[in-house]
Amino acid sequence: MKPGVWHRLDIIARGLLPAFSVFVLLLINLLPISVPLLSTASPALALMAVFYWSVNRPDLLTAVTAFLLGLLQDLLMGLPLGVSSLVLLLVQTGSASQGRFFHNKPFSVMWWGFALVAIPALLVQWLLSSALLGALLPIKATLISYVLTAVLFPVVAWVLARAQNGLLRYV
Amino acid sequence: MAQHGGPQQRIFSPLRTALHRFAFILLIFSAFGLMLLGKADTVLIERIRAASADLVSPVMNIVSRPAASINELTDKIYNLAHLYEENERLRRENQQLLAWQQAARNLSHENARLRDLASYTSPPALHLVTSRVIADMGGAYAHSLMISAGSRDGVAKGQAVISDEGLIGRVAEAGYQASRVLLITDINSRVPVVIENSRDRAFLSGDNTNRPLLTFLTADAAVAPGDRILTSGHGGAFPPGIPIGIVSSVSENAVRVAPMFRRHQLEYLRVADYGLQGILSNERIRQSHPANTENTTELSPELPDGVGIVPASPADGGNETVTPGAAGEAQ
Repeated sequence: MKPGVWHRLDIIARGLLPAFSVFVLLLINLLPISVPLLSTASPALALMAVFYWSVNRPDLLTAVTAFLLGLLQDLLMGLPLGVSSLVLLLVQTGSASQGRFFHNKPFSVMWWGFALVAIPALLVQWLLSSALLGALLPIKATLISYVLTAVLFPVVAWVLARAQNGLLRYV
Repeated sequence: MAQHGGPQQRIFSPLRTALHRFAFILLIFSAFGLMLLGKADTVLIERIRAASADLVSPVMNIVSRPAASINELTDKIYNLAHLYEENERLRRENQQLLAWQQAARNLSHENARLRDLASYTSPPALHLVTSRVIADMGGAYAHSLMISAGSRDGVAKGQAVISDEGLIGRVAEAGYQASRVLLITDINSRVPVVIENSRDRAFLSGDNTNRPLLTFLTADAAVAPGDRILTSGHGGAFPPGIPIGIVSSVSENAVRVAPMFRRHQLEYLRVADYGLQGILSNERIRQSHPANTENTTELSPELPDGVGIVPASPADGGNETVTPGAAGEAQ
């Protein structure tokens, strides 16, 4: 039996879910929220999603997609161009190659894995941004950002897992 | 998901991994290429940034509304809890303000009379565009906001952005319907300022903390914690006299300023078109030429030390001869 056009379109649309979820998280990151802490340092939501998808479905969030999403993040947030692209690309490639390690393990293992991956990711971002701006950025904001990112990962991962189970089971 | 191994698979699999590796290296190089491009060509990057702001602004415009209403709710709860203290504070402030109002009236009458006497030319009138904050790029690396006004509304790069409290930043890129505002706390921000009481000039330089620095302050400048900082209007980028902040700390090597605004509570902002276009507009940058080396002022291009300005040596046969000391440099 040959799959129809609609069926194929449906599969393509579902396949775009990981990239789309990263985009949505980017926009959530941009929301003006009146919490004093969040205006100085915000959690790296896109980083969480890129890690999650590269571990669970590296076939649907490729290196090129991660690169382009990083580019979008830099453009929207007014960051030095190319830094987020590089960081998300490295995280995608690294996590996708180690993805097998996390399969059939409890969630806490993945959480620890992410907490470890986020350290070099944010450090590289901080170092390269500082180098490109020509001045050392305050490290304190990066530290707060790291703590928020590590603590909020389960929430984002839970939402993404729900989406994965609901929409990507047969894709 | 399931992949079946076959003769095709055996041939193409190594090829595919090689291709993947090549793509990865290519992407790494393009990331570094982007960094270089971002440093080199700012005009192109600005256009792309403005376009990307335009791209997401319709979505942000809608989703930031519920966020704003949640903020309103938390504000309301907070206000209810602090009703009594707030009332007391406002009563006291109102008393003080009434006294100030009287002083301001007297002064504005006096000012008007003095202006008539001195035939003073007023600075250009401000054209204000009010817009809503639709995104806050809160983060450790950049301090900027997105507002829902762009070139469609007359917003252009370099214009000052003001809140009720005072200056908050300038327009970094203006798209068609949305613009990015660089806050005065961002590491890329430099604002010419003046200290209200002593009229000493300085620059307010952001460093990505909540307390920007006063730089290029002269050694004998009188500055103390509590002094108000205003825009000086130099360079034509900002209207003069907009309050920016209050000096929060003075130490041996740094004077820090607490800005007037609270970033997480910014909701509506005004963009001030001062009519001068500022020093940052693209037209100015395109028009600006390298320093004119032609000797148009009839003065020697190289000034000897301790002598002052020396007239160019009288030309013997027209403009062809040059002073021996300046030979080779002048033309």
